[in-house]
Amino acid sequence: MDRAVAPARGPVDPRLIRRAAATRHYLIGAVAVGLVGTAALVAQAVLLGAIVQKVLIGHAGVARTVPLLVGLAAAFAVRGLSAWAGEVAAHRTSSRVTSTLRRQLLARAVGLGPSWLAGERTGELATSATQGIDALDAYFARYLPTAVLAALTPVVLLAWIVADDWFSAVILVVTAAVIPLFMILLGLEATRSASRQWERLSGLAATFYDLLQGLPTLRAFGRADAGRATLERANRELRDETMSTLKVAFLSSLALETLASVGTALVALFLGLRLLNGTLDVGTALAILVLAPEVYLPLRRAGAEFHASAEGRAAAERILDVLDDADVKAGVMAGGDAAQGTGRGDRRHVRLLPDPATSTVRLDQVTVRFPGRAVPVLDGVDLALEPGAHVAVVGESGSGKSTLLSVLLGFTEPDRGDVRVGGARLADCSLRDWRAGVAWVPQRPNLVRGTLEDNLRLSNPDATDAEVVRAVERCGLDGLVARLADGMTTPVGEGGLTLSAGERQRIALGRAVLRDVPVVLLDEPTAHLDTGREDSLRELLAPWLEGRTVVMAAHRGGLVGRVDRTVTLVSGQVVETGPGELDRVGPLGPSGTLGARVPR
Amino acid sequence: MRGTVRPPHAHGPLRQVLRIGAPDLRRFLLGTALGTAAALCTVGLLACSGALIDKAALRPPLYTLTLLMAAVQLLALSRGPLRYAERLVSHDAALGALGRVRLWLYDQVTPRSPAGVAGWRNGDLLARATADVDLLQDVYLRGVAPLATALVTAVVTVGAVTLVLPTGGLVLGACLVGGTATASALAWLRRRRLGNGEGALRGALAADVVELLVAAPDLVAMGRDEEYLERVLASDAELERRARRRSWSDGAVAAVVVFATGAAVVGTLVTATDAIAAHHLPSFMIAVLPLAALGAFEVVLPAADAVSRLADHTEAAGRLVSVADLDVPVVDPADAAPLPDGTRIGLEAAVLRYQSDGPRALDGLDLDVAPGRRVAVVGPSGAGKSSIVNVLLRFWGLESGSALLDGMSLDQLRQDDVRTRIGWVGQDAHLFPTTIGGNIAVARPGATPDDVAAAASDAQLGPWIDSLPLGLDTPVGERGAQLSGGQRQRVALARALLAGAPVLVLDEPTSGLDRPTAARLVHDVLAATEGSTLVLITHRDEDLVDVDEVVVVDDGRVVGRYSPGAGDGTGDGDGGSSATAARREARAAT
Repeated sequence: MDRAVAPARGPVDPRLIRRAAATRHYLIGAVAVGLVGTAALVAQAVLLGAIVQKVLIGHAGVARTVPLLVGLAAAFAVRGLSAWAGEVAAHRTSSRVTSTLRRQLLARAVGLGPSWLAGERTGELATSATQGIDALDAYFARYLPTAVLAALTPVVLLAWIVADDWFSAVILVVTAAVIPLFMILLGLEATRSASRQWERLSGLAATFYDLLQGLPTLRAFGRADAGRATLERANRELRDETMSTLKVAFLSSLALETLASVGTALVALFLGLRLLNGTLDVGTALAILVLAPEVYLPLRRAGAEFHASAEGRAAAERILDVLDDADVKAGVMAGGDAAQGTGRGDRRHVRLLPDPATSTVRLDQVTVRFPGRAVPVLDGVDLALEPGAHVAVVGESGSGKSTLLSVLLGFTEPDRGDVRVGGARLADCSLRDWRAGVAWVPQRPNLVRGTLEDNLRLSNPDATDAEVVRAVERCGLDGLVARLADGMTTPVGEGGLTLSAGERQRIALGRAVLRDVPVVLLDEPTAHLDTGREDSLRELLAPWLEGRTVVMAAHRGGLVGRVDRTVTLVSGQVVETGPGELDRVGPLGPSGTLGARVPR
Repeated sequence: MRGTVRPPHAHGPLRQVLRIGAPDLRRFLLGTALGTAAALCTVGLLACSGALIDKAALRPPLYTLTLLMAAVQLLALSRGPLRYAERLVSHDAALGALGRVRLWLYDQVTPRSPAGVAGWRNGDLLARATADVDLLQDVYLRGVAPLATALVTAVVTVGAVTLVLPTGGLVLGACLVGGTATASALAWLRRRRLGNGEGALRGALAADVVELLVAAPDLVAMGRDEEYLERVLASDAELERRARRRSWSDGAVAAVVVFATGAAVVGTLVTATDAIAAHHLPSFMIAVLPLAALGAFEVVLPAADAVSRLADHTEAAGRLVSVADLDVPVVDPADAAPLPDGTRIGLEAAVLRYQSDGPRALDGLDLDVAPGRRVAVVGPSGAGKSSIVNVLLRFWGLESGSALLDGMSLDQLRQDDVRTRIGWVGQDAHLFPTTIGGNIAVARPGATPDDVAAAASDAQLGPWIDSLPLGLDTPVGERGAQLSGGQRQRVALARALLAGAPVLVLDEPTSGLDRPTAARLVHDVLAATEGSTLVLITHRDEDLVDVDEVVVVDDGRVVGRYSPGAGDGTGDGDGGSSATAARREARAAT
């Protein structure tokens, strides 16, 4: 994760520019307005010089300088208005681009699927999607227009100066030419450090998020101080890192500023000498003096904005990596649906999905490996799910039950083997279509902010009130609803009523019931329920499950009273397949033995 | 029971945050002084160059110019180093202050976690902690410091111009004040028009993003992910709309500053011309005044920016300090009693509510666990089992009744002291994104690797850890995502065993485990903690074989007790009939 090895990109990153292509006309507008401002600046300098000339040499009073004064005021007015217009155009560009990027990043993150998200740190990704993209504002709104102007303005100004006084122009050209050189020499190192610093900032956000979530645990062990120490250390590291970045970043602006003021001073001194000789008139000299700093200014500003946008560019690296890389996985996980937002076409031929209600779903030699694990999580699993079959998958925790369901959902792509629906490979079909026919009750269901009813209807927004009421009864939530003062309209999720794990799981069951789907995947649906509740839930659900294809991962005698088949997993392998009623045969397979633990 | 700690709010939130961050005052003053010196160099360089050229145009002898030439060179050379020093000093001070603000926030959240901050959405909390704190970086660097620098520089410049030409000073002063005032008024108008919701919107966006990413599996499986993405992006669109309107007023502020500069240049030219005509001013000063005006505005420009940011800063600061307004659910007594020696724990007529107008989670519950006894608490979900844990661990306070340790009310003891006696395994225990061993070692500072390994093996983690190439050094991923539910629970259990508290409260420790492993685990835990007092919260009757007593809880009350040895399912004891009872009550309530 060492960002220092990331390729240092030039002053303008082509990947980012491609993202800005849609807003090119705004950028051109911002630059055009900037050039108008430069013209007004030249006019302002010339007019100021002319007024001084008239007063100093021509001994003119106010009355004789009025037309020039009016012109000067007009020049300032044009400059002010162009600054205004430039600001608006720059922000248009920026907000368009950042909004587009945010949409693409989130669509991609969700599209890459739960197994990818599990490996990412949610806090870090959220920081990228919010603050990281906000930081890009500095790049698009500030840096890009200034960078273009930095290339144009000095040329315009020097062209004017050289016509009047080639000597000053030479001083300015020589000193100004050193500026980009300095920027390259010092800027690259600063960019590298800034990348590292951004990593730290994201890391600090993730650390902070995690510490706050883990605070109950830390307090239980009297270790809140240890969390504080972690934060203190992260703070200190961030401060040290930032300061060493800044020492270098500011060094370049020190050099630039010194160059600019020494250059201006040199111009002033030589102008003074030539005035003494009488080879230059004071009006021209003063105009050149006023314009001299303006030759450096766009360069210095571009340098400063380049540094200011370093954080944004570092964040962009990460965002663009998510967007541009991992493309192979993305196509599979998103089923070609969510990947559209990235402009990447569906690379696979999408087959029409056979109707899951009438087709056998088959796992064919499915193997899944997790990085860093020597043993595969699933190892050549074969499983056939005929329409309407009820199959229990049992095994110790960690034996691969949840992964098997994840494969069936299309969340996890098998490293080897296929999932087939009827004659079609799931990998060739639209996963969105497939999931439309699958209900899933996860082990740890997530609630969204909203009422209890919102959370139930999440699975089927079009459900009628009667259907919702029936689902509440089916999953045994009616007792909870009756206890609550606000009933179904009680806010739950973050900031709402705290629900127990069992209640959350029953909401997930209710979500499943609300969807009239042919395939139901239950991941330990009663892990958090007491035996009494489980029995009654089984009675309530049995009629609904009838006729649907059901796969239930279970540690123990489960919800699906009668199962047609019990599959026992040990270390990711099917060690036993047998018929029977789960409660009678027990959780360890029909023979009641765990099977020999597979020696490793 | 519920204490309220409120800091005095005599000052605005911004000042309060500045006080929390209290950067080294001397360092801050030094930064301002350096910044002012650099700014005066800018103004001086322009003015001296102008004077040099004007004088030279009158073609005096060269020696009359040497002083001005030296001044020009000196000012040109010293500006850069002064700026460099100023930036380093002020950034260091600001970063130090930011760290203090983060720690302050942590210190505020700690005593309120988890109950007192339940109303905060986690994602929003994250946004506050990072975005708001980082925004406050601007308070120092682009707010207070440039304002102070600009103010001093403006006063010095206007003063110098006034010495040369009083009317010129008057014009320059008027333009500076007028320009800054108009720019500030525009910023204030923008705030009135757009409201102060931008920070709140950003917080909401961050919270939505976290929700989307966390709930992604559920949403994708239900085909609702795209819709939720749109919902998240709706707040993004609102932010974009605001940014657009904001750019208009930002542009207007920039334009006003240029207009004011123009007015100052034209105004000083007119007054200087008049004064020269009246021989009140040497003629070479004609360019000095407008150039000084140009320089002064160059310095004031960032100050106008700072004023326009002030509203955002105040808003961010307000959100940060609002944490301190939340109630602290449990406060340590002023003169805490020493921890009693015994390990008898219990509740007497305990009543608890999570919200003041919410239902009673505990409703007159009595529980008594004698030293060395193993008591299981069973009941349907929502019966109040976890609330018992929250009270015993002092995460929540009781509304009435008392929680006791060796006959002494927990109210009289320090929370940390109580928790050294009462160990805990939570229902969905939090794992930190470190290694397995690191997560276990959290429980006891200074635990040796052997201690950690022993605790892991007591929690039945041994064979699994041995099978991992990295063993105890295997990372667990965010929130333990790389581990199965059962493995997570066992790591949490090992943690509690390592802490070695004489009383152990286990909140559904076997919820993710298969039956034989769970039974083995409970058996082993009971053996490993022989002699300690144990409260086992569970819904699984197979866990209950080895305990001394089973307490059945429903609707926040004890509805039955039995000892498993005395026959199965005596009285109200079995879960089935308690569930029936719950249903009966639910029907009665409708």
